[in-house]
Amino acid sequence: MEHQTIPLAAQGSGTSLQRVRVWDRFVRAFHWSLVGAMAVAFATSLLLPKEWALIHVIDGTACVALVAARLVWGWLGPEYARFAAFVRGPAAVIAHLRDIAAGRVHRHRGHNPLGAAMIVALLAGVVVLGVTGTATLGGTLKSGPLAFALSFATGSAAREVHELVAYAVLGLIAAHVAGAIFESRRTRENLALSMVTGLKEARSGDEVPAAVPAHAVLAAILSVTLFAASGFAVATLMKRPALGAPVGALDASYKKECGDCHIAYHPSLLPSAQWTALMDGLARHFGENATLPAATAAPIRSYLTANAAETFDTLAANAFRRVSATDPLRITAAPFWQRTHDEISDAVFKAKPVKSKGNCAACHSDAATGMFRPWNIDIPEVVK
Amino acid sequence: MRIAAILTAIVIAGTAIAAVAAPPAQQAIIDQFAAAAKKADPGFSGFSPDAGKTFFFAEQTGGTGEASNCYACHGKDPKKAGETRAGQTIDPIAVSVNPKRFTDMAMVEKWFGRNCDTVLGRECTVVEKGNFLTFMSAQ
Ligand code: HEC
Ligand code: HEC
Ligand code: HEC
Repeated sequence: MEHQTIPLAAQGSGTSLQRVRVWDRFVRAFHWSLVGAMAVAFATSLLLPKEWALIHVIDGTACVALVAARLVWGWLGPEYARFAAFVRGPAAVIAHLRDIAAGRVHRHRGHNPLGAAMIVALLAGVVVLGVTGTATLGGTLKSGPLAFALSFATGSAAREVHELVAYAVLGLIAAHVAGAIFESRRTRENLALSMVTGLKEARSGDEVPAAVPAHAVLAAILSVTLFAASGFAVATLMKRPALGAPVGALDASYKKECGDCHIAYHPSLLPSAQWTALMDGLARHFGENATLPAATAAPIRSYLTANAAETFDTLAANAFRRVSATDPLRITAAPFWQRTHDEISDAVFKAKPVKSKGNCAACHSDAATGMFRPWNIDIPEVVK
Repeated sequence: MRIAAILTAIVIAGTAIAAVAAPPAQQAIIDQFAAAAKKADPGFSGFSPDAGKTFFFAEQTGGTGEASNCYACHGKDPKKAGETRAGQTIDPIAVSVNPKRFTDMAMVEKWFGRNCDTVLGRECTVVEKGNFLTFMSAQ
């Protein structure tokens, strides 16, 4: 099927030109899959709420996998897919720009030097997004292959880079689309359609790369091996304990004694000084007497202060180190809590099954672990 | 005649006791409160479930907390689940539907200590506690 030819009236020249296969099946499938996956990546981060974070992570992984396969194909694929055949230095890019400026239609049947530079930039952008995304996931959410190694601070820094690069890639995509439209007009051929059919007109004077055979089987074996090895490496790294994340269940006595009136809050949700003050004031506890016998209270006090916000490096522990100035013992009064929950209506908090702002577990299925990961958020339906 | 009268008296007394008597585990706790009540007042003649009922539904003053009666959390029907101010379900307080109620003295005292202070601003008397338990054990 490669190099199948179809005679067709040439749009510009008026003479009958043949159309030849330029983009092979893999390149086309790769191109449109990446378009789709990047659209999902931008939608799940810029448009949709936090709950979509896991889809974003899976989708981002797919983007990187696609690029990895493209890199293999860029080495073992046919001539039009090979980086060696179309990636040029800056001199070629400048020469191409001069042609455009002078109105010369010097046509590359494959990628032109400017288009090639764009491809390299886009592929590199996706790789950088993959790396910084994994670092964000590891450092801030204590998940994924880097959770064992990265602090919250490193994860937050990675997140800033991730965001900047994402906007840069968005800009590149816009430029890429504009370039394709411009080049389609200039060379009087619908380039987007060519990326669907794989066919381009064969015009005289086209710059054409030397034919090389594709090693499809070898490329497939290499890609699959690469995926299996990375999958194994990721799985192995993910078995390591996450840096600064709490492990194990809540202390049984704490859960029993402090879980009668509300959920037993994870100790990482308040700093040590606040737990001490709270334990000192159980007789006047938010409008109720919650006194405990001294023998029961002492171990609970040590447990809470030993596992307070300062002792962990999760997103919640970092966020809840800053307490409210006026109501410091209330987690739901902390500036972070107020900020992150201000779009939820009071009706949701008051109605069944949530019933109160402090009922974290109604919306955060992992509240007892202290992790509060975005993909474990689900605001329940109000029961009337 | 006389035997009949004695038998009738025994039957009446028996029914009255049966109506008030709690299951053994709860009775053991009530007995401890009764002993304490007798020690404080030799004239003490037993707990009254009616007084316990009145106490449960009474509007109190002087509380240190935001609730001013017992049913604010335990609900107006002791056989149904109640709800804390933070929205968490409280299992029914009536022994007939929740036989685990009032079987652990430490737990009973812990909650009397808390809830009486919240609602009344003081400790409950032994008699108030005994009346309450007697009423709820018969519910
Ligand atoms: C007798 C019932 C009761 C017991 C027992 C109790 N609490 Fe509370 N707690 C409350 C109430 C009521 C509130 C306020 C809830 C509200 O305003 O929505 C509260 C609020 C809190 C808050 C603030 C939650 C927020 O909304 O930010 C913390 C933290 C807390 N309790 C910790 C504890 C700890 C620790 C213990 C065990 C030593 C404990 N509580 C035992 C009744 C209780
Ligand atoms: C009515 C449901 C609801 C309740 C109750 C609730 N949350 Fe949330 N929480 C959410 C939602 C929704 C978000 C995501 C907000 C956003 O999109 O930024 C969130 C976000 C968070 C985050 C940030 C997660 C992230 O990845 O950025 C933390 C931490 C958190 N909540 C902690 C708590 C704690 C602690 C409590 C209890 C004291 C609580 N929440 C109670 C719904 C709830
Ligand atoms: C602010 C809410 C609240 C109020 C008001 C309240 N209680 Fe309670 N009470 C509770 C909770 C919560 C429990 C423990 C829940 C459980 O064990 O299921 C409890 C438990 C008890 C227990 C122990 C039950 C057992 O199984 O041993 C007793 C006794 C009790 N309450 C008596 C009272 C009395 C008497 C009053 C009124 C003076 C009162 N309560 C008012 C919330 C309240």
